[in-house]
Amino acid sequence: MKILIFEDEKATNLYPLTYLRPTWELLCGASTLLEKIKRYFPNDEINFWCRPEIAPLLNRKYGKPVNNIKSIIGRESVMLINGRWLMGPGESLPTKAEEQGTCEGALLYGHLAPEKVEPGDDLASLLKKAAGLPKKEIKARLINNLWEPVKYNAEVIKEDFELMGKQGVMGAMAPESTIYGPKERVYIAPGAEIHPMVVLDTKGGPVIIAEGVKVFPFTRIEGPAYIGPNCQIVGGKIREGCSFGPECRVGGEVEESIIQGYSNKYHDGFLGHAHVGEWVNLGALTTNSDLKNDYSTVSVKVGGALQDTGEMKVGSFIGDHTKTSIGTLMNTGTVVGIMCNILGVGALLPKHLPSFAWFIEGKVMKGFGLQNLLQTAKAAMARRKKELLPEEETLLGQIFETTREIRMEAVKKSR
Amino acid sequence: MENTAERVKAVVARQLKVSPEKVKDNSDFVKDLGAESIQSLELVAAFEEEFDIEMDEEKALQVKTVKDAVDFISKILEK
Repeated sequence: MKILIFEDEKATNLYPLTYLRPTWELLCGASTLLEKIKRYFPNDEINFWCRPEIAPLLNRKYGKPVNNIKSIIGRESVMLINGRWLMGPGESLPTKAEEQGTCEGALLYGHLAPEKVEPGDDLASLLKKAAGLPKKEIKARLINNLWEPVKYNAEVIKEDFELMGKQGVMGAMAPESTIYGPKERVYIAPGAEIHPMVVLDTKGGPVIIAEGVKVFPFTRIEGPAYIGPNCQIVGGKIREGCSFGPECRVGGEVEESIIQGYSNKYHDGFLGHAHVGEWVNLGALTTNSDLKNDYSTVSVKVGGALQDTGEMKVGSFIGDHTKTSIGTLMNTGTVVGIMCNILGVGALLPKHLPSFAWFIEGKVMKGFGLQNLLQTAKAAMARRKKELLPEEETLLGQIFETTREIRMEAVKKSR
Repeated sequence: MENTAERVKAVVARQLKVSPEKVKDNSDFVKDLGAESIQSLELVAAFEEEFDIEMDEEKALQVKTVKDAVDFISKILEK
């Protein structure tokens, strides 16, 4: 069997987090959606079909062509898998071809017989063929909205811990640090260092510390928590339900939040029920609200319109490469685009800041242009020995143009 | 052009909080008028509002003096 993980039209609902990545690269729990899908198909060839604009970047990153019908044509059946599916333990998938699974009207999977996949097909025609198969309605977690990975994160960390099947202290843990709660709920990978005066609180769930992590003194990590490879936790309260991708620097107070990777929230300040992209820098005392004073449900701006999340606790959503100044304040349910530059100086951010916009002294501005932002991104990435790929640069240029109108509207409205 | 120059100077004086007589044609925004990087952004925004124009972000970065700004804005207005 060949697997084709695809993005459907709802991938854009997850902007700004999906501007520079496909839906299946969103982090939730201790792994991405893709890593969870792969768990189900350890021996099958995985192929991808994404939005055309991110295809060149994925071709480069994956080292094989995406959106390529030739790669799935052959004697094997093809299993289409929705790239927004947050797969958990015990999902039932058909072993025989000729079945589709749907969830809330969306295709979760479609298992096509080999002869159904033809050279002239594209994603639309494959989805059409899958829609003609006998249907099975499945109860599943399909990520429809920006706030959902965070909503599921705590339970998914627990699931990932069980499925990982690893526990114990393989790294170095100073004797002056402690595991408070069941010790079997900890996994500290080889090469990780837990310094003195650190508390790993496992009463509420597991604490997973990946390889190369350093947890510095006066840190309390409350499970369920996942600290990704080579992160540094520099003191503070990491409260339940946090997942940090690789190479983050995190301090202060963080609760039920996901940071994709390579981002800094080094200093004091509160981040709660937030989902942060890569290469984000949150200046000292940057704080977001995740609960309204009247305890009503939080609305989030999606595609230009406010949408009620139905959730009481929703924080902020911050696109890749965005930087915030000291003292930046974000309201409940704020969405900040990619490559924004925020100099908060006490003024509360608008609920939505378009990508590449600058926010200075309470006003939205268009900033110094794309080249200036690319230079900053390259400088930030070089500090972690990473490069901005030419395909990323091209993609950023395209997004800069496609978001120009909405950015200029925000600038004019702010004057 | 003269009118444009006067309006540019008025915007500069107001935005950078300097007395109008300090704003000369050859005044450099940074060296002579003390503009910080954030203020230059605010200045661009103020010019756009005053003249109801759009200034390209990267080209606007090349504007160093009051005369540069007058020329730059005049060209946009001519179009």
